Amino acid sequence: MTRPLLIMFLVLLLIAAGLGYYAYHLNKRVALEEQQMAQRSQVVVAPASGPTTLVTFYVASDAEGTLRRTQENVALPQERSERARAVLRTLFGRYSQGSSSHPIGAGSDVRDVFFMPGNTAIVDTSAAFADSHPSGVLVEELTIASIVNTLNANDPTIARVKILVNGKERDTLAGHADLRRFYSAGSIAPGAKETP
Amino acid sequence: MSVPSPRTLVIAACILIATGRGAIQWLFHSAVFAQSPEGNQLSVYSAQSSFSVPLISANGQPYVGLLELLEPLGTVEARPDGKKYKLRFTAAGAREVELQFHDGKDKGKVKNDNFKLAANFVLQNGRGYVPLAGVSELLTRALSTQTRFNPAARRLFIGDVGQHFTLELRPGSPSKLFISFNSPVNPTIATEPGHIRFTFRREPVLAVVDHASYTDPLITGASFSEHDGIGELDITGNAALMANFADGGKTIIVTAAPAPPPPVVAQQAPAPVPPTSAEHPPTPTPAPAEPRFFVLIDPAHGGNEVGAAISPTLPEKDVVLALARRVQRELANRGINAGLLRNSDIAISLDQRAVSANAARPALYIALHAANTGRGVHVFTSLMDPENYSSHDFLPWDQAQAAFLEPSAAIAGSVSAELEARKLPNSTMAAALRPMNNIAAPAIAIEIAAPGDDLSQIASNAYQEQVAQSIAAGIAAVRGKMTEVRP
Repeated sequence: MTRPLLIMFLVLLLIAAGLGYYAYHLNKRVALEEQQMAQRSQVVVAPASGPTTLVTFYVASDAEGTLRRTQENVALPQERSERARAVLRTLFGRYSQGSSSHPIGAGSDVRDVFFMPGNTAIVDTSAAFADSHPSGVLVEELTIASIVNTLNANDPTIARVKILVNGKERDTLAGHADLRRFYSAGSIAPGAKETP
Repeated sequence: MSVPSPRTLVIAACILIATGRGAIQWLFHSAVFAQSPEGNQLSVYSAQSSFSVPLISANGQPYVGLLELLEPLGTVEARPDGKKYKLRFTAAGAREVELQFHDGKDKGKVKNDNFKLAANFVLQNGRGYVPLAGVSELLTRALSTQTRFNPAARRLFIGDVGQHFTLELRPGSPSKLFISFNSPVNPTIATEPGHIRFTFRREPVLAVVDHASYTDPLITGASFSEHDGIGELDITGNAALMANFADGGKTIIVTAAPAPPPPVVAQQAPAPVPPTSAEHPPTPTPAPAEPRFFVLIDPAHGGNEVGAAISPTLPEKDVVLALARRVQRELANRGINAGLLRNSDIAISLDQRAVSANAARPALYIALHAANTGRGVHVFTSLMDPENYSSHDFLPWDQAQAAFLEPSAAIAGSVSAELEARKLPNSTMAAALRPMNNIAAPAIAIEIAAPGDDLSQIASNAYQEQVAQSIAAGIAAVRGKMTEVRP
């Protein structure tokens, strides 16, 4: 092998190694940015200004397979849809905390809550809510029961709830729980418990 | 440094192109390797169960997954370790056997003896694959039993499981062909003018004679062939043919299909009824089939739809298939006939699952799931709103389960009691889980999670065995109270 060829080969080898290192570094940076973006896009809890209201939450526990009824003072808007949305965003905020008994994916949010005749509430969730939700019959069922019962506890006129994902109907939440149907508040309450 | 000569640049460019081409070829090979062409399956028949295993293409020939092949035949523990693949297998009532192979090498060990594969062993995503050629020898060595493999038909018979049949033509008006088996069969039947075909997918049906010809005005011949993992019996005739089952499914009677009814003519006098010939007494109406108690087990997910990730290398689809096979065995030990809706790694849509389940007319449908959240075993019945029940003659698809909620709850309670008796953490609740609402039979779903903090316990033999025994015992306990279904 001639000297220039050897030099060229070594140069190319160095370039290849450099590009490999750059790709590795880039990959790490993208992952870090995605993580930071997910943290930034976590649920923003309802506005904290104004008079507070005693809000009832049905908080899911994966380990126990139950809903736990708790109450907390939260500042809520006056408008009905915004109020329901704020309640659910507070609930999602609890689930997004590190110590949550029922963790849900980063970026989970409630885009909107609107009402239809027949005491029906439509909850439009973010795509991240379903895409990053843990998969399992119990864990998905608990999330839905928690949403439905929390809404009903704070607005007893809400009898039925339908959950959309990013404005559209979806077959299942994360492969199990049926999202094509309407959920009645009275029929979905797995082992609800009062806070001790 | 001097500028490189054009010759040097050309050589360097060639090196880069060759490297790039190699990388593209490698990527292409990886993509092709992962594919499993639809219908490319190996049918395996054994005394324990009959099942099909998907084949993959590698090194230019079909390969079969070692774990998928051995799991239905006993207890398997696979341990991929770098390029090594160790597997411990224990068949029912037999001693543990160790198999050891190395990725990219054709030499391995079975029971500590050297074993040469027909081509190199392949380890892909933690799963070990052996070439289909020579798989019979491998199983003969591992199971210490004779096997028979038909490579062209992709049918593998383990032990003495071949189910032969006899043909007997009884001339008459019309003639009847009696096809007799030594145990009940349940083939898929297809008809077309002059043909009736029986496709045996689950039964290890084999023919003594491949072709038979008859000089009969109705039935002219019968031929048996094996291909694509199935056995197919084709009966030919000079008119449209139909089949009836008798003797509890052990006999199929092929005869002429009834002629279509004549067009109704208004005010036409009824035709006189001819006297019954003494030589041909009317055929007695076959006795109604015996009621049966059949449990259909549906291991959730499969194929590309992996379900929950229990761990990075353990998807839900694999956990539930292993559990389903255990439940089937435990039910068989209690004298209960059970089948699996999916006995290999294939994707089935939710609606397809419901259609297949309803067609099988089971006395009980059980969907099996696994999760990496929660603890213990959760038993579910269908969540339905009572006010939405339909009382119409036609049952809406989403309310097919409504009429069976009570027996479903009874079975769920019985299984829960058995789990409790074995001190396994458990709960019972209603869930909106597809396709339970579409099942027109008592139906429950069972989701297993790890019993404690160690997620790997979910796939342990001891834990799965306890869960399977609880499920089978729970079903056996309520069997007497449930309505048996006519086939």
